[in-house]
Amino acid sequence: MNPALAFLRSDSGKRLGACLGLGVALALMTGATGRQDDYLYAIKEDLFTFHLIENLLIGVVVWLLFTFWPVIRRYLTRPGALGLLAGAMTVIVAQTVLGWYEPEDAKFSGLATLVGDTNGISALSSAFFGWLAWAQLIAVIVVGAAALVLRNRALFWVGAAMAVAAAIIASQAHKKVDELAGVVDHATGVTVAVWGYLTIAVALAIAAISTDDVARTREFVNAVLGWRPGFALGAAATALALYSLGVSSWFAPKSLNATLADVHSLFKGTSLAPIAVQYFIWLSWALVIVAGALVLVAAYFRSIILGIVGAAAAAVGLVITMISIHAITSLAANSENTYATKGPWQNLGDGAWWTCASFLALAAAGLVVAQSALKGRSATAADAAHDPSAGPRFLYAPGATLAVLGAAAAAAIFIPPTLEPSWQTALVTSIGIYMFLAIGLNVVVGWAGLLDLGFIAFYAIGAYTTAYLVGSLPVKPPFELPVLWAIPFAIAVCLIAGVILGFPTLRLRGDYLAIVTLGFGEIVRLVAVNSNGITNGPRGTEDQVPHPVINLGFVKFTFGLDQLPYWYLLLAVMVIVIIFFRRLENSRTGRAWAAIREDEVAAQAAGINPVKYKLLAFAIGASTSGIAGVLFATNVGFFNPDNFKFEFSILVLAYVVFGGMGSLPGAIAGAAVLTWLPEFLRDQVPSEDRQMYIGAVLVIMMIFRPAGLIPAKRRATELRGHGPDSAESQAVPAGGGLGGSYA
Amino acid sequence: MTSFAKAGTDSAPGAQPAAGVAFDVQDVTLRFGGVTSLNHVSLQMRRGEILAVIGPNGAGKTSLFNSLTGVYAPQEGRITLQAREGDEPVSVIGMKVHKVNHLGVARTFQNIRLFPALTAIENVKIGIETRQKSGPVSAMLGLPWQRREEHASTKRALELLSFVGLAHRANDIAGSLAYGEQRRLEIARAMGTNPSVLLLDEPAAGTNPVEKRELADLIKRINVEDGVSVLLIEHDMKLVMSIADRLVVLNFGQKIAEGTPEQIQRDPAVIAAYLGTTDEDAAKAELEAQPELRRIELLTDEERERENEGETL
Repeated sequence: MNPALAFLRSDSGKRLGACLGLGVALALMTGATGRQDDYLYAIKEDLFTFHLIENLLIGVVVWLLFTFWPVIRRYLTRPGALGLLAGAMTVIVAQTVLGWYEPEDAKFSGLATLVGDTNGISALSSAFFGWLAWAQLIAVIVVGAAALVLRNRALFWVGAAMAVAAAIIASQAHKKVDELAGVVDHATGVTVAVWGYLTIAVALAIAAISTDDVARTREFVNAVLGWRPGFALGAAATALALYSLGVSSWFAPKSLNATLADVHSLFKGTSLAPIAVQYFIWLSWALVIVAGALVLVAAYFRSIILGIVGAAAAAVGLVITMISIHAITSLAANSENTYATKGPWQNLGDGAWWTCASFLALAAAGLVVAQSALKGRSATAADAAHDPSAGPRFLYAPGATLAVLGAAAAAAIFIPPTLEPSWQTALVTSIGIYMFLAIGLNVVVGWAGLLDLGFIAFYAIGAYTTAYLVGSLPVKPPFELPVLWAIPFAIAVCLIAGVILGFPTLRLRGDYLAIVTLGFGEIVRLVAVNSNGITNGPRGTEDQVPHPVINLGFVKFTFGLDQLPYWYLLLAVMVIVIIFFRRLENSRTGRAWAAIREDEVAAQAAGINPVKYKLLAFAIGASTSGIAGVLFATNVGFFNPDNFKFEFSILVLAYVVFGGMGSLPGAIAGAAVLTWLPEFLRDQVPSEDRQMYIGAVLVIMMIFRPAGLIPAKRRATELRGHGPDSAESQAVPAGGGLGGSYA
Repeated sequence: MTSFAKAGTDSAPGAQPAAGVAFDVQDVTLRFGGVTSLNHVSLQMRRGEILAVIGPNGAGKTSLFNSLTGVYAPQEGRITLQAREGDEPVSVIGMKVHKVNHLGVARTFQNIRLFPALTAIENVKIGIETRQKSGPVSAMLGLPWQRREEHASTKRALELLSFVGLAHRANDIAGSLAYGEQRRLEIARAMGTNPSVLLLDEPAAGTNPVEKRELADLIKRINVEDGVSVLLIEHDMKLVMSIADRLVVLNFGQKIAEGTPEQIQRDPAVIAAYLGTTDEDAAKAELEAQPELRRIELLTDEERERENEGETL
């Protein structure tokens, strides 16, 4: 037979055909939009231009990846390979999908055209946007890949240096363009590209100095965190603080962008409190250096006392920083000059908040040092039984969990104030609320293993209960409650609703249960739509649900339209819920759920009453969405049944699965990432394509990391199977799928 | 031996079983559609004994276990349970599985049914904790009695794990344990519920000779030290004969013999059942010609191992 024909009929040939078909489909998807006067316009434009060739090349690359996967896979497990890959993908995404120039709403190619059409642009910028951007990316990838294949240390360093240079070139080229245009540009493209290059640089540098035992990401991260517990966090926090003090903006009303030093001159001669005056001259530097040095030295020598002292110094630094920034903002708010601000805590620059975050992280680092030093001294044989490498935990280095918690707390408290108002709104109304829902659904789906497709119904019940109790519905309660008092009632009503749903459905399993819960969700929504006399029907709440007021006697705070206070309220409630659920997961109730999920017959034979525990799961899961309902209702004021559509139930389920079924941090991370992504893509891609990108992320994630973003300890093993060869699979860290080595 | 069963059959429904009897099975018939899995089976299990149920594959042994533990509800007959001295005798037919467990009956499964994604110690703790009281609210608030119970459960679980020789694997994922270890872990989980009657469904299947000896020793210890009555399904005749006080032989859903190991080994009906012939004389002749058949081995260990892997994978 003709050899070409034989190749086409082989598996490999068929695969090539499929991949080329994929290229054609991609070309049509990303190409020109159709025209009514010429129906074939899009096809002609896409298939008879260079555009098609680009996409066919992608198809060929995919085919090569498939065909040589066993070979590629071997190299992928080498140190630095995944970092190189991730960084390169990031740069490619930045240079294709993301926006690069806000005033013109232009992506990289759009900006490149603009630059090409403009005279007087610096040589660097015209070169970068002309050809250098892609050339430097290819050069970095080639050098990095060569270093990986040859295992050449010198080449690794060359690649890392090239990546750093590429990052500098990209940022400088973009900066020159912005300077020439003289506009404010919030486009994220160049920042993401720089982060991509820096990722490559770090990955290659790690590869250059790595030995075999830190070859995997998981081992490497743990080696870094475990070298001197608390050191990594302390060093990162100190570096961020020094950067903030030196360079960042501290006070930014109107067009002003004052650094720390500028603030000092700006407030010279005003009635600023003495401590704040000193703070802006030297105290801030002294605090950072003293606290940072204390923590780092403590970490290096594993000293308990120094660690506690360092943490205390950082806490003092945090308090003084907050006093100082409060002093300048309240002074500015009361003054008559041009830089008057709206009120205390307003118009602060990123640097002020980053410094606060750094101090908090430093304090956490000090505690990590003390805690792990304390643990190290009292280590016993019982602890040795908890051999960390045996478990599927991602972070097993001593103190790693506390360090991550500290960093997360610092970020959660002090990063939101630096965000733009639109992002603060997104943070509260979608990210924060859906985190709650994901936490609740995780109990039902992840822990008890009951597939619930109508979870949003409990959220609706919580929101409508709140609206009823504060008198915002046509039916009035016997006495109106302050809105935060509705929380216990909403929880109680959702608990009961959970039991009502659970009771008749408990004999059902799997798909059948899913369909019944789906029906329940729709029933609740339709009742809300059709009960005009009770819920005011599709028009939604009659009166506004009031914003909360916190009155503790000595301090009174009224929430308003500013979203930030809601974030802190959410955060406080969420911390409580997380602590409670963490304990629940590791209690007899949590284990009973796991037992029912794993094998209901065996659970019964061991004496577990499955009916009781399934009802508990429904009720407890529903209760968190009750809390979410209250917070949502009081935040938005007005809502209607459209806020509780079926698709939201599916989305919450997707967050839980994406994050890692049965994993509390996973559910939170999944909700955070998947609610953040659409908000992020809003400015980057055409709105009709947005869902496509989210779908693509889900598909890729489920192929390469089927156990989710942060797999559950108890679930991670399930996907790996446990046969006679399980000893072998135990040797590979958690992950599974094609990217098993990723974890 | 048979006098026990006869006495039971004659007694009126709801009558007290004879003293010292844990399970009183009277004339039980279990059908699945047209298939009769248990056909008028009567047997009695005395408190404190090791009673083995043997029989060829498909004889109804596991159906008997499932009827005793409430998984199946036989259409005819009575099963009365009085696990502990002084308990009220109750009928387990139609009773929920977990209720039967709470009356003092624990079991293991033929095809191991652990909670594979959980650690060994968690598996055992689940069994222990079904006897505890603290609920989800006390767990969330971390109340002192909940912590005490949690501590007690961990302590008892570690004791049980070392009792079955798995203390060193406490924090390993149950699914990653070796086959024999999984069998012993299942026994530890069952023992966690502090049973008076322990039902073991082929505990030695797929284990090697050394593990079998250890297992026989373990069952003996459970019986003697903890005073737990053991009902055992097992194909390994050497094991059965070495530990069982009495044997019941099932074939095609019917009880064909009952007695001490010595009696059973000589019983022509049993030999006929195992050799697949109805000619008792031929069987006797066979037995005399080949004395090693006294250790009735239907399958070699390797064959059983293969069979069991086929079931669980």
